[in-house]
Amino acid sequence: MVVYAFYIFDRHTECIYSKKWPPPVAASTAKPRPQSTSSAATNGESAQPLTRRTNQKSDDEKLVFGVVFSLRNMCRNLGGEDNFFMNFRTNEYKLHYFETLTRLKFVMLTDTRTGNLRAALHQIWLNLYIEYVVKNPLSPAEHPGGMGVANELFERGLESFVREVLSAPS
Amino acid sequence: MRREWEGEKLPRVVFTLLIVSKAGGLIYNREFHAGLSKQDTNELLIIAGTFHGVHAISQKLCPVPPAQPPPSNIPTMPVRPSGIEVMESANFRLQCFQTVTGTKFLLFTEPQQPNIDGIMRRIYELYCDFAMKNPFYTVEMPIRCEKFDRGLDGFVKATR
Repeated sequence: MVVYAFYIFDRHTECIYSKKWPPPVAASTAKPRPQSTSSAATNGESAQPLTRRTNQKSDDEKLVFGVVFSLRNMCRNLGGEDNFFMNFRTNEYKLHYFETLTRLKFVMLTDTRTGNLRAALHQIWLNLYIEYVVKNPLSPAEHPGGMGVANELFERGLESFVREVLSAPS
Repeated sequence: MRREWEGEKLPRVVFTLLIVSKAGGLIYNREFHAGLSKQDTNELLIIAGTFHGVHAISQKLCPVPPAQPPPSNIPTMPVRPSGIEVMESANFRLQCFQTVTGTKFLLFTEPQQPNIDGIMRRIYELYCDFAMKNPFYTVEMPIRCEKFDRGLDGFVKATR
């Protein structure tokens, strides 16, 4: 499986941590692109769908938050108070969601062939966030602007968790 | 074919079907089995509208560049981002099928429900046969076709 991105949102709806991993196939897809655009140009067709606008980083954060917030409320509304939203899938990616009791939201975007990652997000919260952010005496209780979250230990722990546990060839 | 038939022998629990028009309005809703919290029409309209918006955003959230088709002289349809296809929660699963014209079928089922694609295809057939081919039905308007209701009931409940 491939991990694309990871976000943490706090209870004030602010994105306190975000990380994107460059898609590993970028090098191989870069090659056929000039050919296909040139062939489209010779056909006289516009290559409009190929030049899809990529979002800014902060745009992405807001869009992700909007999506998970709406779906979470919808799940609560339809399935009762004890129901929780787990994940959704499109034809391009899969979004996984985990929320703690303190309304801290963990979101991960992966490829579509991935199973349920709720347990993995729980692990990240328990073993990385609690250990390196909450228990850090220098870190503030709230994290405005992501202050105190992206420390070295947390970053390194997350990096190795994603590389060794999630991206391991199955 | 054989597998589909076997799938239909299993007990199925389909909670609710919503049909959302391409403008985000709710044009049909039917509850087959109780299981979700009771919603009145206003709340269902809100759910349909919310999902319509979320579906549109989910198309924009592409973390990878879209896959390029192999270069050839034959013009091919570009792969479009589909938006949400399946959403899972603890108590139910939501399958969304969007037609080429933008109408969305939302099917709320149990989380372990097998063969939802087959059910969805059959429901789409019923919609085509009894709603779209009905000369008195105006597109994008609420569907009030008795035969469609009966067809759905017959299909979803009969094979239980």
